[in-house]
Amino acid sequence: MAARTPREHDVALAQRAGAGDRSAQRELFQAQKQSVHHALFRVLGSNRELEDLLQDAFVAIFRALPSFRGESSLGRWCQTIAMRTAYATIAKRRPPSLELVEDQVADATPDVQRVMRAREAVRRLYSALDRIEAKQRIAYALFVIDGRTLVEVAELTDSTVLAVKTRVWRARRELLRRARKDEVLAEYLSELGGES
Amino acid sequence: MSKTERPPVEPLSDIAWSRVERGVWSRLDETEVITKERHASRLWWLAAPLVAAAAVAAVVVFHSSPRPERDAGPTRVVSEASSSSVSLGDAHIALDPHSAIVMNSHDDSPNVIVEQGAAWFAVEPRGSRPPFVVLAGDTRVRVIGTRFKVARSEERVEVTVDHGIVEIGYHGDVTRVANGQHWSSDAPSTVLGITEVVPPAPVQTQTQTQPQTQTLPAVQAPTHHVQTSVTPATSAGSAAANDRDALKYAELARLEASAPDSAMAGYLSLSKGSGRWAQVALYAAGRLAADRREARATTFLEIYLHRFPHGANADDARQLLARLKGTR
Repeated sequence: MAARTPREHDVALAQRAGAGDRSAQRELFQAQKQSVHHALFRVLGSNRELEDLLQDAFVAIFRALPSFRGESSLGRWCQTIAMRTAYATIAKRRPPSLELVEDQVADATPDVQRVMRAREAVRRLYSALDRIEAKQRIAYALFVIDGRTLVEVAELTDSTVLAVKTRVWRARRELLRRARKDEVLAEYLSELGGES
Repeated sequence: MSKTERPPVEPLSDIAWSRVERGVWSRLDETEVITKERHASRLWWLAAPLVAAAAVAAVVVFHSSPRPERDAGPTRVVSEASSSSVSLGDAHIALDPHSAIVMNSHDDSPNVIVEQGAAWFAVEPRGSRPPFVVLAGDTRVRVIGTRFKVARSEERVEVTVDHGIVEIGYHGDVTRVANGQHWSSDAPSTVLGITEVVPPAPVQTQTQTQPQTQTLPAVQAPTHHVQTSVTPATSAGSAAANDRDALKYAELARLEASAPDSAMAGYLSLSKGSGRWAQVALYAAGRLAADRREARATTFLEIYLHRFPHGANADDARQLLARLKGTR
C-alpha cells in the first residue's frame, strides 16, 4: 500500500478528531500546539493572557474540524482559526488607560542595559499595539514582528494581500506617531524594519 | 540590536500546557453533553406519547426481572457544572461536577473507568455474580456490594468507603478498605479512619445511560475529615513516617496553585529528609522554581541530581535542566 502524503494524513487526522476520537484530538493538539502558541504569542506579546486564548483557539479548532477539506496544511488551517479567535478577543478589549512608566536602567552594566532596553522596547511596542485596531495589530505582528510574508499573513487572516499591506502601513503610521514622544520605541521600530 | 533579531517567543511551561489541555477537553466534553441533552430534549417532544407507554411497560418488566447488564456497550458519561446520576445494571453512580466515567459491561461483569473527577458508587450485593470493578489510573477497586467514592485527579486516586468493604489493587498490592475508611494512592499502604462521610442522598435509580442533570446534595470532601490518628496497614515506624511525608507532599502539591511560596517552603523543608519523599520534594521544588522562572531552579535540580543521580525523577531533572540552560 502506498504511503500517505502529509495532506492525506492531515485530512484523515482531522476527520477522526472531528468525529470526537479523543486520541486523534490529542495527537492533533500535540502536533499543533507550538505553532498555534507561536502565532498567538506574536499577536499578544506575552504569555500573560495566553492560556485562556489557547483554550479558546483549540476549542474553536476542534469545533471547526468537520469543515477542514485539506486545501491548506492542517497547521496553517489551525493558525487561521487561532487568528480569528485572537481577533475576536482583541476586538472586544478596551485599550488600557495607563501610559507606560520608564524603567530605571541607568545603574546596570552595558550588556544588561542593552537587554533591559530591548525588553522594555518590546513592552512599549505591544503597549502601543494595544491601542491599534485589532486587524491592523494582527497584520503588523505577523508581518513585521514575526517576519512572515504578506501572502502568508493574508491566508492566516482570510484577507487579500492588498488589505494586509494597507493594515500594516496604517499600523506602522500609528506606531510612528506614538514613537515621536518615545525615543526607546522609535529606535526599536527603526531596527525592526519590516518594509513592505 | 540587529535588524534580524526578533523578540523571543517565551515557551509556555509544561504545567501551563497541562492546564490548557485539560481546559480544552473539559470544554469539549461540556459541548458534547449539551448537544446530547438538546437532541434528547427535541426528541422528547416528538416521542412523548411513545415514551409514556414504554415507561409503563418498563415498570412491569422491572418488577419481574433483574435489570440487564449484558449487552451494554461502553458508554461515556460526563457531568457538567452540576452533579449527575446514572445506573449500570443495579449499581447506581452519582458523578461529582466536571467528572467523566466510561461504563462497560460484558458477560455480567461490569466495570467503570473513572477518567477524571469523582463519583459515588452504590452497588447492590453481587452474590454469585462477578464483582463490580472500578478502574482509576493504576488503581483497581473490586466490589462485592457496598457504597463508596472514587476520586481521581491526574494519576492520584482516592477511595472513600461509606458502607461495606472494597478491595483495592494498586501496583500489585491489595488493600481492603472498610466502611468509614479512606485510601489514597499517595500513601497506598495506609488506610485512614474518617470521622464522617456524607454520601449523596439516595436518588431514584434509572436504567438509562444518558447523564441526568438533576442536582444532588453536595458531597463533602473526605480529605477534610481525615483524623490525625491513623491506623496504618503496616505497623513499621518508617512506613508510617513515609506515609506522613506522602500526605504532606500531596498537601503541598495542592497548595502550588493557590500559595506557591508556601508550597516551595514546604517542598524545601521536606527535601531535607532522607526518605523517598525527600527526593520527590526536591525535584518538585526545582520544577516549581522553573515554572516560576526563578534562577534557583537550576541549583535545586543540580542538587537533586547530585543527591539522587538515579532518582525517580532523575531523567526529568536532566531534561528540565538542559532546557533551562538552553534558554539562557
